[in-house]
Amino acid sequence: MKPLNFFALLLFIAGLVWVFTLSESSVRNIQKLYYSSISPIISKGGETEAFANDFVKEVEHSQDLQKKLAQALSERDRFKLIASKVQDLEAENNELRSALDFKKQTEFDVIAARVIRKQPQMCGKTIEINRGAEKGLGESLCVLASNGGLVGRVHTPGDEVSSVLLITDEGSHVSVRVEGTTEVGIIVGRRTNYGEAPRLRLRYLSKNAILRKGMKVYTDGRGDLFPANIPIGTIEDFKVGPVDGEAEIIPAVDFTNLKTVFVIADSPGD
Amino acid sequence: MFLYPICLIGLLLLSCIVQQFIPSVSVWYDARVLILPLVVLCGSATISTAGMLTLAFLGGFLWDAQQVLIIEQGDEIVYHSNPDALKFGYSIILYTLMGFLMQGIRPLFQEGKWHLSAALTGVAIFLYLFVEYLLRGFIIGGFSLENGMIEQIGATSVLTMLFSPLIFWVLFRIADLCGHTISYQH
Repeated sequence: MKPLNFFALLLFIAGLVWVFTLSESSVRNIQKLYYSSISPIISKGGETEAFANDFVKEVEHSQDLQKKLAQALSERDRFKLIASKVQDLEAENNELRSALDFKKQTEFDVIAARVIRKQPQMCGKTIEINRGAEKGLGESLCVLASNGGLVGRVHTPGDEVSSVLLITDEGSHVSVRVEGTTEVGIIVGRRTNYGEAPRLRLRYLSKNAILRKGMKVYTDGRGDLFPANIPIGTIEDFKVGPVDGEAEIIPAVDFTNLKTVFVIADSPGD
Repeated sequence: MFLYPICLIGLLLLSCIVQQFIPSVSVWYDARVLILPLVVLCGSATISTAGMLTLAFLGGFLWDAQQVLIIEQGDEIVYHSNPDALKFGYSIILYTLMGFLMQGIRPLFQEGKWHLSAALTGVAIFLYLFVEYLLRGFIIGGFSLENGMIEQIGATSVLTMLFSPLIFWVLFRIADLCGHTISYQH
């Protein structure tokens, strides 16, 4: 082995040992530093992604138009296009209205944020929002949707943007209760395929739990991570295993159309 | 002697920025071009083992700084099962293994058969993502092999591989400017 390679290998091993022995707080500091450094770039990157998605939609829409032009329905399509634009505007208006209502009605002190990028990672389920430490966001703050449902919690707050770990991630744990019963359990994310709607697993239920489809699940406020009584979803299915029971939950939040979220400014422990 | 490796590190940092601007292809399995791992892989084929180790270390470190999810644990009485996650730094090891894979056919690359290395980047990316997927399943304890995920990994690998000639072209240009010899028949 060449002396340079041997020296590089030694340095590499030393570096690996250093990295693998980093404490959790050191890793968090590294991630915060990294996130703060690339915050402005992420904002711009989010815009690029939004532009690309709009472009794809536009292309799909153009193909539709061509087909319909061939059928000599151009005039009607024009009105359809206008109607669709109006519908889009109406949907956006409703979204903003419900966001505004939510901010007025909620008992929490919340900071509104726009989702700038969905699923920036291959494996982990996260989103990026356009609020960061500059607006008072900190680690582990709860994030809600405009319908009041739990979205997740802040994972890495940058200066201008933050990463939010969704409750649909397999590593996410939320302590919950089932409405109208004494059942409590832990919600974890479920691995889903491309295009499949997100689902949650409610674990550690008792074997003799009497649960029905449609029962609502809320946070129970235990464990210092989430405030109580935040909607999580509804029970879809319940199965009894050898040790405990497990239910499949349909989330209360529509994660595929998440545009505006609200970060609870004070953590549940405060 | 060190100008080319320094430029490679500069390219790696640049790829880190460019990565933020690359959207996923929503109409094709949400596939995405993983430019940072691609720079590590292509760079590994053009540099000595020592340089490859440095590149893999930096690339893996930067990748994990963005990707690894350190999940805060709540009250242990309630959250009795720890939210396990992949350890920070695991990408360094995976990048190094991929780097060695690329170095394995470096003699062919130096003979000018760059297209073999380009194809190998796709294989390496697939292996990297697949191993990462298996590791996540193994650590979290929910091992399953979903077809949709395999297709998404495959689509991402193919898409990333398509960009490898571009990265190789950039590397050849940088090598020319730095006076670094990549190919015997250059």
